[in-house]
Amino acid sequence: MSLEDLYSDIILDYARNPQFQGKIENATIKEEGKNLSCGDEITLFLRVEDKVIKEVKFSGHGCIVSQSSAALLCEVIEGKTLEEAEKILEEVEKMAQGDEFDESIVGNVSVYSEISKFPVRVKCFTLAWHTLENSLDEIK
Amino acid sequence: MMLYKRDLIENFPILKRKINSRNLVYFDNSATTLTPVRVTDTIKEFYDYHNANVHRGAHLLSNEATEMYENSRKTVAKFINAKTHEIIFTRGTTESINLFAYSIGKSGWLDNKEILITTIEHHSNFVPWQQLSKTFGFSVRYYNPEKGIFVLEEFLKYVNKNTKLISITGLSNVTGQIMPIKEIIEFAHKRDILVHIDGAQLVPHLGVDVSELDVDFLSFSGHKMLGPMGIGVFYGKKRLLKKLPPFHYGGEMINWVSMEETDFAELPEKFQAGTPNVGGAVGLKAAIDYINEIGIDVIKMHSEKLTKYAVEKLKELNFVKLYGPENRISIISFNIDNIHPHDVAQILSDKFGVAVRSGHLCAQPLLKRLETKSVCRASFYFYNSEEEVDIFIDGLKYIKEWFS
Repeated sequence: MSLEDLYSDIILDYARNPQFQGKIENATIKEEGKNLSCGDEITLFLRVEDKVIKEVKFSGHGCIVSQSSAALLCEVIEGKTLEEAEKILEEVEKMAQGDEFDESIVGNVSVYSEISKFPVRVKCFTLAWHTLENSLDEIK
Repeated sequence: MMLYKRDLIENFPILKRKINSRNLVYFDNSATTLTPVRVTDTIKEFYDYHNANVHRGAHLLSNEATEMYENSRKTVAKFINAKTHEIIFTRGTTESINLFAYSIGKSGWLDNKEILITTIEHHSNFVPWQQLSKTFGFSVRYYNPEKGIFVLEEFLKYVNKNTKLISITGLSNVTGQIMPIKEIIEFAHKRDILVHIDGAQLVPHLGVDVSELDVDFLSFSGHKMLGPMGIGVFYGKKRLLKKLPPFHYGGEMINWVSMEETDFAELPEKFQAGTPNVGGAVGLKAAIDYINEIGIDVIKMHSEKLTKYAVEKLKELNFVKLYGPENRISIISFNIDNIHPHDVAQILSDKFGVAVRSGHLCAQPLLKRLETKSVCRASFYFYNSEEEVDIFIDGLKYIKEWFS
């Protein structure tokens, strides 16, 4: 992954896209995540019905990597069952660690397939995903 | 000694590194400085030929290692004008302050009293006090200056009859502001208040004379002044250190041990439990020898000139916001409109070879005061040049263009 890939148009578009930004008033769970080393913060809202994630949004602030990662997260888990979301999360974590992962499961998140080559940015990337992990743990 | 680029390159081979076919420009000196060959060579020599534990064996290697270790203490003492046994080796500033906060908390000196710190502090001079006040019976008062700029008259108003200790940075790692520590110490001593200075940035950039300042305690790190990581210093006046209880317990810090009781060693061993970082101490000596050769005054003059140059150049860029006072040294924190510092730092590095720090700089209360979550920071040392500042400025212009 080159710098151009890291700041590719698709990633910049995700970071700037307001589609998933905001709050869900009647959220099933609202989970805060913090990247303690850089001060980035995110709040993830999930509305779950019958074990299906009907709606996802996030608020907070951070760099392009953390913002686009959060938007990608919303895109791929919306409409999925909790079980499916957990499976996606597992594969994304493998990807972030530079391990082999199932690209067909993670969808567009695979634009970050080589994020592990930027080790100091991995934390930016995983902020939203760790917040999701905590959310799923809470729901269980 | 003059600073010649040729000499610097030979002393710092890391400066030969290329990033994206460009020379490395290292502007992250407040986080850690580069390590010169003479320091790494000295450490290597210690491990290759003298490696032994100190103060224990009677064999040749142990004698040599002990001598090298204690010579380092003498060099540190001379560098800050202290007495040799007033120098306690630690892992760095953070451990020094933990040692101090724990020991003075345990000593009872602060019982039912107050200590005064500021929100300008680096976390290492903030969190230990905040947390240990919950363990021991003292409270912490904070001076939270507007825009993160320290004003002496305002600060002194926070001193009251309960204040027993002031702990403050000598040079802010975010704004580059030099604190009026001489005035603070004079004011405090008239009121029987002790003063501890966090010298993590101050010592490498401006040097400190503890006798002239009459400071009671001082903490600093080796790796921010050309030394290796994992070695630092805690200084205290002898009469005060003698009253403080040990921080860590174990080997080396004892006189004798019975089943029920232990009699602790004299200074400085009382505060140095276990096998010390001898290689680190030996490396720190080599670093200080090098700094002495150049001269701390030369380092200061170079920093003043370079900082002034960089600030002028940055002010020409209308999209850059600077934090802190007009008068700053070595350290410049800034942001570019609407671009996150992480993104700025990554592109500066990968496109231009310029290493700057980004994030909250381990000073979250101060950043809150500055009304930002994170910043970029360029911080200089004597091997940096005006040409490098120009490259950095070009990088910022490019980034602004890229994202707009």
